[in-house]
Amino acid sequence: MNGGPPSLRYELANIQPGYVIIEREMYSKAARSYFSPEPVPPKEPYREGGQVWALWETAQSFRFAVRDNVTGAVVKFDELLGLLYYACCKPDSDLYRIGELALENKIFVYVAITYEAPDGSRLNISLDKVALLNRVFNERLHTRNKRILILPDYFGLYKELSHGQVMLDFGLTSMDEASQEGSA
Amino acid sequence: MKLQEIADKLELEKLTPVFDKDVTGVYISDMVSDVIANAKPGNLLVTVQVHANALAAANLVDICGIILAQGKKPTDDVLTMAAKAEIALFSTALTRWQVATKLYEAGLR
Repeated sequence: MNGGPPSLRYELANIQPGYVIIEREMYSKAARSYFSPEPVPPKEPYREGGQVWALWETAQSFRFAVRDNVTGAVVKFDELLGLLYYACCKPDSDLYRIGELALENKIFVYVAITYEAPDGSRLNISLDKVALLNRVFNERLHTRNKRILILPDYFGLYKELSHGQVMLDFGLTSMDEASQEGSA
Repeated sequence: MKLQEIADKLELEKLTPVFDKDVTGVYISDMVSDVIANAKPGNLLVTVQVHANALAAANLVDICGIILAQGKKPTDDVLTMAAKAEIALFSTALTRWQVATKLYEAGLR
């Protein structure tokens, strides 16, 4: 990203700022999420067949790709909504317990949360792409013996998407203390 | 430059233990997504953001320490998270701009 000969094999590339949009259907209350690269996020409700979708939540975010500086390959991560840190989960959750066990070995556990499709199902992220995410974030660590472990969402955490659970700027644009009490 | 040296020069209030880490540079942001996208490993983060997600983002990109400007202080659970991640947290009454100026004067680029 900074020009000159790359010192790392992998790097974040094509970083595109935008918004995570979470919408709810007015009648069924179904929810879905997607990334909007528009300068101003859409706010008006709109009709789609018999459904009316309205904005429920928005957060500043970005999407990116990973470039392999050896092969030149660029892999997009458009399905990735965010990364959830285990310590932001409830202490009685499976992920928290796993995270605490891993921490004893200086392994910090995150979960890759993907967007939802229009039908409410979760977008898939392949294990190969999760492995690539692990490589890009681990390769550049400076702290001795520290490791990052990014897992697929085997925990169904995308269903619990809420303020403070995913590493996006949900509710973080205000300096009002009340807006910062949403952590899980 | 070591974290402890910066803490001493700026007379920062230490909220966690100060870990023996080199500071490679400075990044100033209050946005979690911005930190993940643009901060570099070993950077010292200057922010007013005290949310747990900011700590999670800092840990992901291997931020060496966080200076909370304008007197901001996190909750105890965030302090615990920071200590476990060996990310030193400092607080100061200075604004982000004043912190940036002092870090420059201290020799950080």
